Amino acid sequence: MSRQDLAADRALSLTLKAGAYTAFALIVAGLLLQWATPWGIKVATAGLLVLLATPVLRIVVACIQFFRQHDFKYALVSLGVLSIVVLAYFLGIQT
Amino acid sequence: MTLAAVLLLMLIGFGAGAFGALAGVGGGIIVTPLLAIYFGLPMHQAIGVTLLCVIATSTATSSLYVERHVTDVRLGMTLELATTVGALIAALVAHHVNRRTLAVLFACFLLYSAGSMIRKAWGSRNEKREESIPEYTPQNYPVGLAASLIAGGFSGLLGIGGGPIKVPVMYLFMKVPLRVAAATSNFMIGVTAATSAYIYWGRGDVRVDIAAPLVAGVFTGSLLGARISPKVRSFYILLLLIGIAGWLSVQMIYKLLTGGFQ
Repeated sequence: MSRQDLAADRALSLTLKAGAYTAFALIVAGLLLQWATPWGIKVATAGLLVLLATPVLRIVVACIQFFRQHDFKYALVSLGVLSIVVLAYFLGIQT
Repeated sequence: MTLAAVLLLMLIGFGAGAFGALAGVGGGIIVTPLLAIYFGLPMHQAIGVTLLCVIATSTATSSLYVERHVTDVRLGMTLELATTVGALIAALVAHHVNRRTLAVLFACFLLYSAGSMIRKAWGSRNEKREESIPEYTPQNYPVGLAASLIAGGFSGLLGIGGGPIKVPVMYLFMKVPLRVAAATSNFMIGVTAATSAYIYWGRGDVRVDIAAPLVAGVFTGSLLGARISPKVRSFYILLLLIGIAGWLSVQMIYKLLTGGFQ
């Protein structure tokens, strides 16, 4: 495994961790707040939305890493996956 | 929602996440039937909520496997081209499939998963922990992509990760080491489940009050499970999961025969 690949793995892992911990913190805060204020459930919803956004962010970060390595084949593959997921997002808010 | 219900859901999420990560199987497979049988959720809602649990498992455990360089990111990204297409089509179709048909399909997949766990348990009786990953080049991409399309379809339709389909195909046909195949499948299910989750969310089939405590439990359980998994023998956990999956499929079939899941 090349040094660039190791760096790319680190960036991806950090993205996933950041998404997971942010979502977790918001969800737990929302769950605790729901008995105190009516907007507690909105905080929990925000946490779930962060969770839903993390996989997309992960694709974007991987794509950037492939571009930086001049690995255009996999950068293109990442863009392909990204476009399908974005299509799903727009179909989702439409229905 | 009462405190007791929140705690119970967190506990279910914790168990599913921890057992799933320890045994190397998706814990989502036991969440859907639990919600549909004991919480009385319609199948579409049970599936929508489970999709979020699947994303949580994938995000939490992948952050560790990618850090340990077990995940093949290039292979995962390539197969995601197929899993996301399958997931998108299936999520759009799922809306038009009636609840009983979904329940029948789910019960069948639950039995199949229990079977594949039995095979896995049999193989892991005297497992030795492999330390390093052997050199490999993934082969047979057409077969891998076809299997990924099907796995993605099952994911969008039934809310599962599809690991029992992808892992054997990557291992047997693409000649990828088993540990890499499992970690890569785990990496892929987050993006796959997110694709169909957008459709379920848009349709209002994701209940926040139920998903939030479950996801909080799944995060803690799967992170803990993935951290201690190198030190734990998966055999007994697999037996436990086979027992739960078997019991739940019997319950689902019983409920189907007595006219449930309307």
